[in-house]
Amino acid sequence: MNDSLPLLSLCLVWPLVGALALIFVRDQRWAKRLTLLVAGLELSITIAALVGFNPDHAGFQLLEDYSWIPGLNIRYQLGVDGISILFLPMTALLTLMTLLAGWNTVQHLNRFHLALMLALESVTIGVFTALDMALFFLFWELTLPPLFFLIGLWGIGAERRHAAMKYTLYMLFGGVPLLFGIVMLAINHARYAGGGIPDELVLSLPILLTTPMSDAMQTTVFLLLMMGFAVKAPLVPFHGWLPTTAMEAPTQISALLLGLKLGVYGIVRFAIPLAPNAALQHRWLLAIIGAVTMVYAALIALRQTNLRRLLAYSSISHVGLVIVGISAFNLQAIQGAIMQLFNFTLVAGSLMLIAGMIQQRLGSNELVHLGGLAKPMPRLTVLFFLFALSGIGVPGTNGFPAELLIFIGTLRAYPSLALVALFAAVLGAAYVLGFVRRGFWGPVACAAVAQAQDLRARELMVLILPALLVVVLGVYPQWVLSLQEGTLNAWLQSMHRPTVMITQAQPVVSKRLASAETNRHEE
Amino acid sequence: MAIWTVLIPLSPLLAALLVGGLNFFHIIDGESGEKATARITLLAISVSVATALGLLACDQFGKLATSYHYGDWLNSGKLAIAFKLTSGGFNLALASLFSLLLLIVMRFSVNYMHREAGFHRFFFILNLFAAAMLLLVLSGNAVFSFIGWEIAGVCSYWLIAYAYDRPVASHNATRAFVTNRVGDGGFILAIGLALAWLESADWRAINNGAADLDHGDATLLALSFALAAFAKSAQVPFTPWLARAMEGPTPSSAIFYGGVMIHAGIFLIIQLRPLFEQAPLAMWVLAVVGALTTIYSYWVGLSQTDIKSSQIFATSAQLGLMFVECGLGFWTLAAWHLGAHAVVRCYLLLTSPSILHNTRGRPTKPVSPMLANCRWGFMVSLQRGWLEAAMDWMLVKPIQQLARDMRYIDEHIVDPALGAPAPAIKAISSLVEWEEQKMGANLTSEEDRFAQGSGLAGKLAEWTAALLHWFEYRFILRGIGRDSIRLGRRLGRAANRFELLLLRPRYLALFVLITLMVALGYR
Repeated sequence: MNDSLPLLSLCLVWPLVGALALIFVRDQRWAKRLTLLVAGLELSITIAALVGFNPDHAGFQLLEDYSWIPGLNIRYQLGVDGISILFLPMTALLTLMTLLAGWNTVQHLNRFHLALMLALESVTIGVFTALDMALFFLFWELTLPPLFFLIGLWGIGAERRHAAMKYTLYMLFGGVPLLFGIVMLAINHARYAGGGIPDELVLSLPILLTTPMSDAMQTTVFLLLMMGFAVKAPLVPFHGWLPTTAMEAPTQISALLLGLKLGVYGIVRFAIPLAPNAALQHRWLLAIIGAVTMVYAALIALRQTNLRRLLAYSSISHVGLVIVGISAFNLQAIQGAIMQLFNFTLVAGSLMLIAGMIQQRLGSNELVHLGGLAKPMPRLTVLFFLFALSGIGVPGTNGFPAELLIFIGTLRAYPSLALVALFAAVLGAAYVLGFVRRGFWGPVACAAVAQAQDLRARELMVLILPALLVVVLGVYPQWVLSLQEGTLNAWLQSMHRPTVMITQAQPVVSKRLASAETNRHEE
Repeated sequence: MAIWTVLIPLSPLLAALLVGGLNFFHIIDGESGEKATARITLLAISVSVATALGLLACDQFGKLATSYHYGDWLNSGKLAIAFKLTSGGFNLALASLFSLLLLIVMRFSVNYMHREAGFHRFFFILNLFAAAMLLLVLSGNAVFSFIGWEIAGVCSYWLIAYAYDRPVASHNATRAFVTNRVGDGGFILAIGLALAWLESADWRAINNGAADLDHGDATLLALSFALAAFAKSAQVPFTPWLARAMEGPTPSSAIFYGGVMIHAGIFLIIQLRPLFEQAPLAMWVLAVVGALTTIYSYWVGLSQTDIKSSQIFATSAQLGLMFVECGLGFWTLAAWHLGAHAVVRCYLLLTSPSILHNTRGRPTKPVSPMLANCRWGFMVSLQRGWLEAAMDWMLVKPIQQLARDMRYIDEHIVDPALGAPAPAIKAISSLVEWEEQKMGANLTSEEDRFAQGSGLAGKLAEWTAALLHWFEYRFILRGIGRDSIRLGRRLGRAANRFELLLLRPRYLALFVLITLMVALGYR
């Protein structure tokens, strides 16, 4: 069904249009204003998409479906459901925040920087909306070039080139198994439908979800996809790129990388539903990797002396918790996990931006150069503390309902892992408050700190909206939860659906598939 | 009538938001704003007191429903967490007492904190604390009690770190919060278990359902709650955090550790009386831990020379007695003891500055000869039983050691093993070397080694590249190099001839025809 107003395509194309328009704007100040305008309008478009979304309907909505490369049956297919809808406004909001936060920091190649930011926004929204696997993979890999340049050209660390290279290599390394997994899925469909390879290849997610697959094949596909997404998530041991990037990249970009968890989204959207049997079979693997990531990164975070590295490790630890929640495969845990993903955008992103504001004032995030920040910068400290509390999961912030749900769900599935999660929660309080104690409390040690200016109006504007959202969602989380509930219920049901073997199921399912095909054409 | 119960915690909460928000935006600030803050605070808490007393009167005449259900806070599948307040009995009586104590302390603080740097901050925290404690006491649901419990903990952290520029204060605050976090883990675990086994976290459901629970399950549930209570009420082995908490301003010490918060643990146990009666083992644990704490606190209290410390060890001793009473089944006695102790201790701590003032110049009383003659006993008392050192040695040190190891592993094993680690900053030893580098002499470069990599993947790639290079160089370039050029020329000539042939019209037509037929036939 193609809606009269292609909202999702608009979300996708609008920032690109803005990026192209920047070519014609020579003046730097006007370029910045134009970018801000584009990003602001993008936010309102995504909010329009959110308003147009019907939470009671479990399937994909706002569908757009056009043939793109007919030879390979690759389609330009976009759609959102309860899992992905919230990421659109969040991406737009975070991009807007990063643009404002980096308003004066970028001094050279300003317009190119702005264009890359907009391009990155467009591609990221593409990742969240693409329903065709090939299209998804295209967007997935297209996030690399803008990030490569953004990290390499405008990074704040001495090793920024190296970090850009490292990031790219890691992501390419993850991309290969992902591509193999996608190709296997398409071939499986062709084999199952009994047609030739180029004709019957299907890459569209809604169809692939109904295609049965043998268990061995499912396991292979699941592991391949997991491998690809684990690098991006990141999960131990593929996490090495995140701390390096957080240290070297400009803080706005680190905020984007920390805030938008494409990898975990990929696991929930593709890896698990496409290979449900394998996912159920290997849930212990997910759970163990998640638990190891959670504790391992939390322990390392205890030893960090740099705020940005600390935030990177704390983010990895939180991803571990989310993965544990996903592996529990019950409604509470998965709802908590998705809400936690949503929280990352607000909390991890804002914390990183605050780290950037400190960096801008003092030229460092190292503990030796901090100490006593609360005295000259009370507002910054208040906001940092609020986001930090949300990260710890203190009630009254949005972290609490999410972590509570994950914990309750995990306790039902794996009681022992729930205890591990509690341990990680204690560690979480220890490393965050330990850093706050050394960095924000205590006497002012450096002269630079004593003269540091508190938040400017622009910076306050950047942080006040996420701060409000943190509190409002902490008090009333039901809004986010009911947006996802229908979709996630269907998600879980499809997990526990009795499976059909490829050999036995031929007639029945091909009939259903045929009807699905005709439906698709009618629509 | 019962619906008005919500006013009791709500009005201090609103006051907290108002004071905090106005101060954040510098609308009320400094000495000139003190009056406004004081008025807001006192008005809000007076509303709470009036409501609580009014409801208490109604309750005495039996004209009040026992609880009021305001609606669901969180819904996830079968899990529903309701916002429900108890409006009667012990809870309401305790809420009235606590709100009265809070009113007195707040009035006291208006003068005591006059012209202090953090006047508004202090009242923001005190208001928030009042809301949290009243919510804790009144909530009909374990989750909301936990919300109050945790927010009260955060407030306690803030007030211990009130003079945040003193390193000792901030260190003690962190220590107290992290210790309490262990207890919070117990609370969360108990909530999770109650939701898993009894499908509800309502206090009434937990108490009613306890009878149906398996013996072991009931004990586990009771012990989880007991862990939370021990941490909050500073029982052995958590006692040391209480002594550290004395860093805050005196009125806050009086209300947190003399009057209200410290009694939350014992309140929790009394609230769960039917559950504990189902679990005799848990009752034993209560009695033993309480007795140990009483003995410990008494012994340590004997040698304390400052007024707040001696008060605080007396507090934990009294709390230990209350736990003993609960453990032995004297529930009503424990409840009365709680109320009476709250009033007395709050008064004693409030007057402690005046006592110091009045007794100035008098010599310190020597310790009792009984203790002074017992060398080891005196030592134990002075060193506070080495309890904190023991906990450090048993828990904190191993975790820190583990964290150090993990960090080492991450930086020296995991990251390099996957390739592309962040290089250490390459130091340039001399000016000459620097000049050489500037000139591009590149004397130390190893780049002529074809390809370089590190880590497992990197090394593999490097070796493969070296092997291929060797093969190419030896066999293809040298061996058949000349031949290949000759062969290539000959091939090129043949291809040219073939193409000329093809380009004749009839062959071209034939070729197009064949292509078409193949394409159609394939269909």
